Amino acid sequence: MFAFLRRRVYTSLVPLLVVLFGVFLLARLTGDPTNLYLPVSATPDQRAEFAAENGLDKPVLSQMADYLSGVVHLDFGESLRTGESAATMALRAFPATLQLAFFTMLLAIIGAIVIGCWAAYRPNSLADRISSLLSMTAASIPDFWFAITGVWIFAVVLGVLPTSGTGSALSWILPVATLLIRPLGVLTQVVRGAMVSALSAPYVRLARSKGAGDLRVVTHHALRNAAAPALTVAGDLTVGLVNGAVVVEAIFGWPGIGKLMIDAILQRDFAVLQAAVLLTAVSIFVLNILIDAGYALLDARVREKTKV
Amino acid sequence: MSPARSLQQGTRYRVVAVATAALTVPALAAGCSVANSSHSDAASPDTLRIVLPQEPPTLEPCDASLTSTGVVVRSNITEPLVERNADTGDLEPKLADSWEQTSDTVWTFRIRPGVTFSDGSAFDAEDAAFSIDRTVNSTIGCDVDGYVFGDDALVVNAIDPSTVTVQTPTADPILPLRISFVEMVPSTTDTKDKVRDPIGTGPYKIDYWDHGQRLSLVRNDTYWGTAPEYTRAIYQWRTEGSVRAAMVTNDEAELATYLGPEDGAGDLGAAYPNNETTALRMMATEPPLDDYRVREAIDLSVNRAGIVKALFQGLGDPAGQLVGSSIVGFDPDLQPTPFDPDRAAQLVAEAKADGVPVDKQIRLIGRTGQFPKINETIEVIQNSLSKAGLNVKIEMMDTAGQMQYQIRPFPQGTGPILLMIQHGNQAGDAQFTVDQYMRSDGYQSYFGSAGYDAQIDAAEQLVGDARQDAFASVLANEPREIRQFAYIAHMNAVLAKSPTVQYTPNSATGDEMRLSEMTHADTSANG
Repeated sequence: MFAFLRRRVYTSLVPLLVVLFGVFLLARLTGDPTNLYLPVSATPDQRAEFAAENGLDKPVLSQMADYLSGVVHLDFGESLRTGESAATMALRAFPATLQLAFFTMLLAIIGAIVIGCWAAYRPNSLADRISSLLSMTAASIPDFWFAITGVWIFAVVLGVLPTSGTGSALSWILPVATLLIRPLGVLTQVVRGAMVSALSAPYVRLARSKGAGDLRVVTHHALRNAAAPALTVAGDLTVGLVNGAVVVEAIFGWPGIGKLMIDAILQRDFAVLQAAVLLTAVSIFVLNILIDAGYALLDARVREKTKV
Repeated sequence: MSPARSLQQGTRYRVVAVATAALTVPALAAGCSVANSSHSDAASPDTLRIVLPQEPPTLEPCDASLTSTGVVVRSNITEPLVERNADTGDLEPKLADSWEQTSDTVWTFRIRPGVTFSDGSAFDAEDAAFSIDRTVNSTIGCDVDGYVFGDDALVVNAIDPSTVTVQTPTADPILPLRISFVEMVPSTTDTKDKVRDPIGTGPYKIDYWDHGQRLSLVRNDTYWGTAPEYTRAIYQWRTEGSVRAAMVTNDEAELATYLGPEDGAGDLGAAYPNNETTALRMMATEPPLDDYRVREAIDLSVNRAGIVKALFQGLGDPAGQLVGSSIVGFDPDLQPTPFDPDRAAQLVAEAKADGVPVDKQIRLIGRTGQFPKINETIEVIQNSLSKAGLNVKIEMMDTAGQMQYQIRPFPQGTGPILLMIQHGNQAGDAQFTVDQYMRSDGYQSYFGSAGYDAQIDAAEQLVGDARQDAFASVLANEPREIRQFAYIAHMNAVLAKSPTVQYTPNSATGDEMRLSEMTHADTSANG
């Protein structure tokens, strides 16, 4: 198990480094922040001073060397906009995204297990049709459309939910519902497919022949074997949520890492953008390791494959 | 079941249980609060909740000419010596009782007695002199300096505690108007860097600023003037116009600004002219735009009335000049160029026959979200220009990308550009428009001519009716002598307002939204 994890850490370091270099270079391609931070009539001297103060006058490779040196010492620079530590801003925003992702996935997993098992147990039933509808809906509705429609129906027309913000428990409902629809649809299909296979497996027929009831067959025999693929997909979807809640956070004013990234891009706040992307990449890296570890725990064949 | 298998299975369950607990407990411990939120948005009859399209980038008073900063700071947290009445255009006393021109190049301001800053310290002429000097003569790069004062250095002196003089390099008949942009701060304010939590003499002071979330102002109980009705104002920001409008209709906010006609404010929406004018700026230093006929053809191809009617739903007026009717220098007789696609096509054909490379691709650059329906406006214009025989490619950019093309120094080797601009003259005088947009070397001007610059110089020396007439002439001559712009529309803005609040927006609301002018609707009705 330890060898397996060590190998996964090594192989994940490469994409992490690509992200590290890539975000640095791409940020510079977005343009010079001087025009945003200095007045229209700023003199060339003032522009030069601003550039020198923020290291923007150096060659890109030199800027990158400074950045990497800072990263090694856990110094991610300061925000051009607020003067605050970029790492502090990113770390402050990240828990809000994690909370959103966690509750979304918790609901998605519970919902997918219930609907997926029900659908698999009675193919072509109402549950099966709901499962199919969910997956089609998940694939076809863009996040922003669902978010705006949700605001219009539940906040404006019905007046039962707040449009946005974080002030009350009710303010969680629309963001979570918006994020939930895709993972729920995808996971439901995965659970259903895995359960259909598991329910027709010989060991299930054996269990039935020994007198096991429907509920016990599903929960104690089939579901355990269907869990591994569902766990893998759930992990990938969680990664997607952490990485992709940008639109939802922007619309609902959710103070997470996605909104911080959008703001940083619009403000050419390079240090904050780099810190936010790197923190997200590291988190995805850790999440992937945890997912693989969980998968390996559930399936010994995965562990065996890593042995040399 | 063997003991070994039982042990393995038990270990697996423990791992899963521990992992689940590790994820669940902190999340549940956080309950339904968000990690990055420390203050609630609780509604209260004495609290105004205002939702803006974006967070102020800074609250530095010397950057108050930035719309998103000024709308929070000006006349709420800090105040100027004199202020312009948005309805009449007149200058009125604020922290100065009076002012006068005491010599050709010197203006003298008399400071209002008994004014204190929100930290309790007294406001006097030394603070006024310090504030002007810090804004105009410092090296911290104040936006007000660039927007209002240009390269002029001022000599500022506090003669005594109630008198301050301002000396200009040359006679400046509108200096008090410029001074109306300088927000007063204590002389203890940092002169090396901009501040994030300004102290001012205004009716409100900063309570807290949750960066990225909300900004709260509370009533300044030591305010020298009439106490405002609301004890607190909470600003939030949402990028989506429909969400901002819905926050008012859903009773989550009392005011929402910068809405489009389609954002759903319904009966709670109030339209008002916002001093902004949209236009295409043409780069006449590059062929084919260096040919006057091509520029005229572009001007003739803009269906202003159609755009205002169909896209802006009537919220605006077709424009024939770059300033609106509340600005000194506005020419009421100047009519918008008529939409004439046939004449436009004819002019392009004539230019082509003379060897002008009208097939060369022209970049039509717009800024995403600059005003409601900008994408559709750009597409309509591109379609008209294509029909006239020009090769136009649309490029939409964000603010920073578009700003590269808006201000000098312009990028080199870009090819011919049509830039969609939106100009808001907050100061109320055409000088602030023509200096930047029409002079040969204006910060936001592609080109001009020596003769036209001389007309501008002459107008700037005048006052009163002569000034009005001279600038009206300058604006009327622009299409004839330069034709750098195809004006599109004088814009209107929409603001959503709760029925519980009494507030009448005016042309300055987008730049300076005074909380003290907002009262409870029932109180006003009774009163």
